[in-house]
Amino acid sequence: MNWIELIIKIIIWPPLWQLIVLGLIVPLVVVIGILWFERKTAARVQRRFGPLHVSPQLGGALQLIADLMRYAFQEVIIPKTVDKGVFLLAPLTALVLSIVPLVAVPFTSVARWWPIPMDYSVLISLALSTVSAIFIVLASWASNNKFSIIGGMRESYMITAYEIAIIISILSTAAMTLSYNFVDVVNAQEGWKWFAVLNPLAFLAAFIGVLMATSGFPFEIPESENEVVAGPYTEYSGLLYGVNMGAAYIKRFVYSVLITLAFFGGWLPYHPGTGFLAGYLYPSIIVVIKATILMAIFSFLRAVYGRYRLDQALDFAWKILFPLALFGLGLGILEAYLGLI
Amino acid sequence: MPPKPVPKTKPKRGIFHKFKGNLEAIIVGVKYFFDPERFTLVYPKEYTKLREGYRGFIVLIKDKCIHCASCARICPASAMKMIRIPQKDPKTGKTKMVMWPVINYQRCIFCGMCVDVCPTEALYHVPYHDVVYENLAEMDIDLESFTKPPEYKTAKEGIPVRYVIDEEKGLVKVPYKEGEEK
Repeated sequence: MNWIELIIKIIIWPPLWQLIVLGLIVPLVVVIGILWFERKTAARVQRRFGPLHVSPQLGGALQLIADLMRYAFQEVIIPKTVDKGVFLLAPLTALVLSIVPLVAVPFTSVARWWPIPMDYSVLISLALSTVSAIFIVLASWASNNKFSIIGGMRESYMITAYEIAIIISILSTAAMTLSYNFVDVVNAQEGWKWFAVLNPLAFLAAFIGVLMATSGFPFEIPESENEVVAGPYTEYSGLLYGVNMGAAYIKRFVYSVLITLAFFGGWLPYHPGTGFLAGYLYPSIIVVIKATILMAIFSFLRAVYGRYRLDQALDFAWKILFPLALFGLGLGILEAYLGLI
Repeated sequence: MPPKPVPKTKPKRGIFHKFKGNLEAIIVGVKYFFDPERFTLVYPKEYTKLREGYRGFIVLIKDKCIHCASCARICPASAMKMIRIPQKDPKTGKTKMVMWPVINYQRCIFCGMCVDVCPTEALYHVPYHDVVYENLAEMDIDLESFTKPPEYKTAKEGIPVRYVIDEEKGLVKVPYKEGEEK
């Protein structure tokens, strides 16, 4: 019994729980569901059936498992012309770095279950969330392929466009609560005063910024299939391609968690109690469910939109999104000044 | 006289028009998400009931044929050709070579000219096209199988459906009811 207790203790150790369970295993399950939802929704809106024949009773859900198996067991081809070390390391680093922001995200208000002290968690998690994008550019550069380089350049243009909008709009919640602590931000939304309702401008800016950051559909510019084969991931195959895609989806999940905490009240209808179950597991499940719903909304947009050109997206980002984020910040400060929060 | 070029109306500029357009697109998406009108044909389980006069496979009525070879001559794809088969004349008792049309479905474009040109209406179309051949040689039909309708295997168990053009929804798939001919 000692062994089992020890293993459980290790698993529920906050850094391991948040980075491995909530950062890697939960997103994998969520992503399979979301990919299925994405394909079925796009098919529904475009008057098709989507994946169907693999398992008609489940609505073709096993198709995604089959795709996963294919990526897992395909041969990984490493071309002769690539810079091998960087080529192999870049997707793995991007995957790890896209999980890392979760270390500064509280999933509960009980201090015993925080991985690190949460005094500056908004700043730390936002800073960490911007690191992984540079490794996509690095992967494209190491691929030594013209499509990869074009995709990587597009990605680097997009980074400059979306990063500042996301950071300003999420920091507006810090301005509203006069605290860089995510726990304070969540606790300020007590009583259904969600910041998405109080400050819709900042929420909209963050939402569109995350769409841009994770190649969501109107802004699926770096990997646009019919222009540059798969963008930065053109030379990747098999498991490495899967790792790339996984990194992109984990990034989307992490951003969804950040938006959930900042604008949708985190674990809030529930008040964390004592002990592991009431204090840590249930609040994490609530946050994950809210983030999953947000991811579903992200993937619904795939069914509606086409793709913007790079110049249109940058135009939109600098002329509309950035001012929108600034207005959100102003609105937040105004609401804090008037004492609405 | 070619039609006069009409100047394109420019889409309305400005943030609010863009926002409105995006919102409308999302509303249409949500509408279709909750009320999908799919028109995919799930083929073995459904098949399209074809209209009368559909130009499908061609069948020869042997008794009506007068061996005139008009069908072979008019065939634009040279799919139809005449072959000579020795045959006994019932009156004189002599054997002589008689011409009969046969068809090669590798070449046939289903234009229906042979059926139109036939003076005695010895050829007719069957109203279906889902026939499976195992190899290319099988598609070169001999006289014996040209006189019978080809075997129609694939969609026998399915539900017959029809596509109608709806005023509001566009193309719509509706189940076909027997005796509903238009």
